Amino acid sequence: MMFSFLRTREVAVAGLILLTIIVVSCVNGDFFSGQNARDILIAAAPGMIVACGLTLIIVMGEIDISMGALMGLCAAVLGKLVSADHAALPVWAASFIVLALGAGIGLINGLLVTVGKVPSIIATLGMLTALIGVSDLVMAGSTIGNFPDSLRSFAIGQVGFIPVPVLVAVLCIVACVVLTRYTPLGRRMYAVGSNPHAARLAGLPVQRLKLLAFVLTGALTALATLISAPQLDVIEAGFGRQFELLVVTAVVVGGTSISGGMGTIIGSALGVILLSLVRTVLIFLQLGVSATYWERAIQGGFIIAAVLADHVGRKRGGHS
Amino acid sequence: MPPLIVTHELGKTYGTVRALGGVSMSIDAGEIHALIGENGAGKSTLINMLSGVVALSAGTISVAGKPLLTGSVPASEAAGIAVIHQESTAFAHLDALDNIFVGREPRRCGGLLLDKPRMRAEAKRLLESLGETLQEGLALSALSVAQRQMIAIARAISVDCKLLILDEPTASLSQRECQALFAAIQRLKAAGVAILYVSHRLEEILALADRVSVFRDGTHVETRDAKGLNKDDLIRAMVGRDVEEHDRGVVTAPGAVRLSVRGLTRAPRFRNVSFEVRAGEIVGMAGLVGAGRSEVAATIFGADFPDAGSVSLDGVPLRAGDVRAAIAAGVALVPEDRQHVGLVLPMTVGENLVLTVLSSLARGGLRSLSAEAAVATEQMKAMAVKAASSAVVAKTLSGGNQQKLVIGKWLAAKPKVLILDEPTRGIDVGARAEIYRLIRRLAAEGLATLVISSDLPEVLGLSDRILVMRKGSISGELARAEATPEKVLALAMPQEKPQAVRA
Amino acid sequence: MKSSGPNTNESWWRQYNYWHETVLAMLIVGLLLSASVLSPSFTTVKTQVGLSSDMWELALLALPMTLIIITAGIDLSIGSIMALSAVVLGMTFEAGANPWVAAMCGIMAGTACGVFNGLTVAKLKVHPLIVTLATLAAFRGIAEGISLGRPISGFPASFTELGTGTFGGVPIPGLIFGVLALLFAIALARTPFGLSIYAIGHNPLASRYSGLPVARITVAVYALAGTVAGLAAAIYVARRNTAKADIGTGLELDVITAVVLGGTSIFGGSGRILGTLLGVLAIHQTRKFVGWYWDREELNFIVVGVLLIAAVLLNRLFDKKTK
Repeated sequence: MMFSFLRTREVAVAGLILLTIIVVSCVNGDFFSGQNARDILIAAAPGMIVACGLTLIIVMGEIDISMGALMGLCAAVLGKLVSADHAALPVWAASFIVLALGAGIGLINGLLVTVGKVPSIIATLGMLTALIGVSDLVMAGSTIGNFPDSLRSFAIGQVGFIPVPVLVAVLCIVACVVLTRYTPLGRRMYAVGSNPHAARLAGLPVQRLKLLAFVLTGALTALATLISAPQLDVIEAGFGRQFELLVVTAVVVGGTSISGGMGTIIGSALGVILLSLVRTVLIFLQLGVSATYWERAIQGGFIIAAVLADHVGRKRGGHS
Repeated sequence: MPPLIVTHELGKTYGTVRALGGVSMSIDAGEIHALIGENGAGKSTLINMLSGVVALSAGTISVAGKPLLTGSVPASEAAGIAVIHQESTAFAHLDALDNIFVGREPRRCGGLLLDKPRMRAEAKRLLESLGETLQEGLALSALSVAQRQMIAIARAISVDCKLLILDEPTASLSQRECQALFAAIQRLKAAGVAILYVSHRLEEILALADRVSVFRDGTHVETRDAKGLNKDDLIRAMVGRDVEEHDRGVVTAPGAVRLSVRGLTRAPRFRNVSFEVRAGEIVGMAGLVGAGRSEVAATIFGADFPDAGSVSLDGVPLRAGDVRAAIAAGVALVPEDRQHVGLVLPMTVGENLVLTVLSSLARGGLRSLSAEAAVATEQMKAMAVKAASSAVVAKTLSGGNQQKLVIGKWLAAKPKVLILDEPTRGIDVGARAEIYRLIRRLAAEGLATLVISSDLPEVLGLSDRILVMRKGSISGELARAEATPEKVLALAMPQEKPQAVRA
Repeated sequence: MKSSGPNTNESWWRQYNYWHETVLAMLIVGLLLSASVLSPSFTTVKTQVGLSSDMWELALLALPMTLIIITAGIDLSIGSIMALSAVVLGMTFEAGANPWVAAMCGIMAGTACGVFNGLTVAKLKVHPLIVTLATLAAFRGIAEGISLGRPISGFPASFTELGTGTFGGVPIPGLIFGVLALLFAIALARTPFGLSIYAIGHNPLASRYSGLPVARITVAVYALAGTVAGLAAAIYVARRNTAKADIGTGLELDVITAVVLGGTSIFGGSGRILGTLLGVLAIHQTRKFVGWYWDREELNFIVVGVLLIAAVLLNRLFDKKTK
């Protein structure tokens, strides 16, 4: 059976995005504008960055649901470090610390999973809960503002005509596509997810590969915070909360199998764009204020549809 | 030239059960060495020892004169021993290139990137040396079994492979694919690779092998030159065990038709299967692994949906694809894989025994622990299950006792038809005899019994009638009086004579 | 009790099945003892009853969650089901229905949500993590959509009694929970349904081949979670006198933490209601004491997160030792 579901899914999601754009543009011409495309991509950038790492984790048959809480912590720490009201560290130093913090938390997640043998859903659930507490502790019940302009440029600056967040996201995607397709490291990650037993027999360092994916996801989450938190004038408690749901959903919608071995970076990135479109679309369809309340229901509908499509696809693909 | 592989007095025991003992044999470079024996004769244990999956209980292995560190997969790999398993242990989501090279990829750019051009060229060369073409970018799951097998062989020979072990390589290949495989094997042989070829297909062995080693009941019986041997010689050497040992004893006249299967089809596994089993009758179902026997059983039991055909019990048709309906009507299945399908291993003996009658033992919606204990005790006694108490976890029991549990679990449900799929696979001789006695007793009590088995003496010894399946359909039926191992094998073996090229 | 055979050689502590519960109970007792020294007012009955008011939703939801996790499943959507049930309750009430009738409607909506989860898991064989992740978004989304995010209040005092009243000194939600916990414990330990749940959690295939109604039981446990979430929603609405689409956000994580802390294996097949009760109690007491003594709510999260991971790590350590 020549049924390559992977590619079908990417094309399907891309097609759905195109269809949405065409339909909404017909209803409201304002939708089809460079400015709007820019806004949508900026909004999708953090999700795309984190999805790159999460795809690798899920491909290896694990999961991480602590990214949202980690974003909250990274934002709080970043704020404390650079804000003129607090430590007022140089931006480069603060960014470095935040990236190290993200990687460090990823490392702890990874160690719990690989060395502690705690199931990843439990380990990252515990981490999620603990990190919410730690970031609340850091925020100490107030908000953080007064950021230097150089930090703001991460979020609102542009290189040429490309906004910095979009540029960073594209670089991450390209890097991860190269990693997954053209490096031994990436192919080994897929091998681990496809058949952990055979991977061990083939002498692959299964635990180290998993650890690496968790560390990478932690670092990417910190990076996503760097390009999104400074968009705001002040950082409040609860930043990033439930962000993990968007990313996990997007990765699954993008065709990554929760049982491992299958999934692509491009698919995940497209999944993030599709889910990020929903809000904008609801606004542009001018259905009134009430429509935006349906955003989450529609996002949930997307993932159910993706799951059903997967089911139908598997049936048609036969038992292979 | 000294032999490549020499084993000396290899032995393996699991607890008190001896799986293999006293194996001393040798394999030469450039030799195709066949390994035959019935199921459970110890072939897989030997394979696992050579490949380092299983640690030895006794003996030594040497490769090219050097002792092999046994019980270590990396050590065996480093010594150039590779196994191609029946079920390919490959990466189904990855393509041929990845599958051949993962773990030892050619690299470039300081080791950062895959050297795709080299991988491609190398894979092409390897596959072409096997007479196969490279299909890049297609996940393995989209390829045929034969293609997957060639890729596995290519992976094995991509490093310096001295001994290639092929475990039932032709089990699910078509005639043409077999020919391609044989040609590839001959090329490897010419290149000086030693081949250990494990197969039930005797014609293949006669056509391919230089020498044949026969295993029986965990011992190495003999090694002979293949030249001049014929099929009957091999069958005799394999069977060895006295068929009369399981004499059926008093054969009661079978009663009315209990189970009736009409035109049952589930393509591509089996087509148009029809037969009957009467009350008090033991019907054997013989055939090679992959002939579709287990699938027929699963479909009768309602675990799978048939495409066509019907199953009826005492003349009443069963609802297709409904296990609970089949059980309610009185069908019981002792599945082939008792560890994963027959039992819930982490649960206790008592819990496993009452699983089939759970709701009928309940009083007012609550479990009656005393009724459950009574059933458990009764079945443990009837089956002579050796366990300290019914509170012992099923996992801790020996294979034979586990099998008695599965049978006991079904007898608690008082079935009319009992289907046993490979009832004694991997069970020691003592427990085997007990299970045979039990099956006979149950039949004498009027149970209609269907025994699926690849073990010839077992089928011949137990059955009143033998059905033989070949490639998804019934190829013949033999009455007890006329059945001989040779006749059963003749009906079971693929008809077309493989025309293997002899080097 | 006398045992025979090889068992006599085994020391009693190897056969003792309640290690997890014992350790957990000792931890709770230790915590309460130190609390009574550090801050005597914390351990008074009055304080404890007062502090218990926001534990009941968590405790209620932990009961069906235990069943689900024993089947090797998971339900991330229960917080969202609660929200949807609450909104259905509120809107039916607003439309003029009797609040008790409205509560029934909410519970029915919750059950329907659970049935949807269960059918998708059992019939379409989709991983429960994915199914309930989807419905986590979808159910809350529907709640937000139909209520447009508005809070609904103004319930009569007769109804709010359900959340705030007491009966013989015991809070009414506590009574409801007590009855349900007993029923769940009996169901799990003493009914065919209960044993089937364990069997399915260990080995769904062997369960099917033994004639257990695997699909029906799977649907039932998720449906039960929906029903209990509906009930929890009614109690929450009654207590706060407000129905809004944001209630129960993140509650699923607390519930799963409590159940896993209580010794239920995330891989299915083992777990008990007693353990879950202790898990709920451990989380609740630790949390409340930390909040009470240090007066820092945010520490709660850290404590719960660390407790969860520590519980699993310790459990693994124990498993290795006793096996």
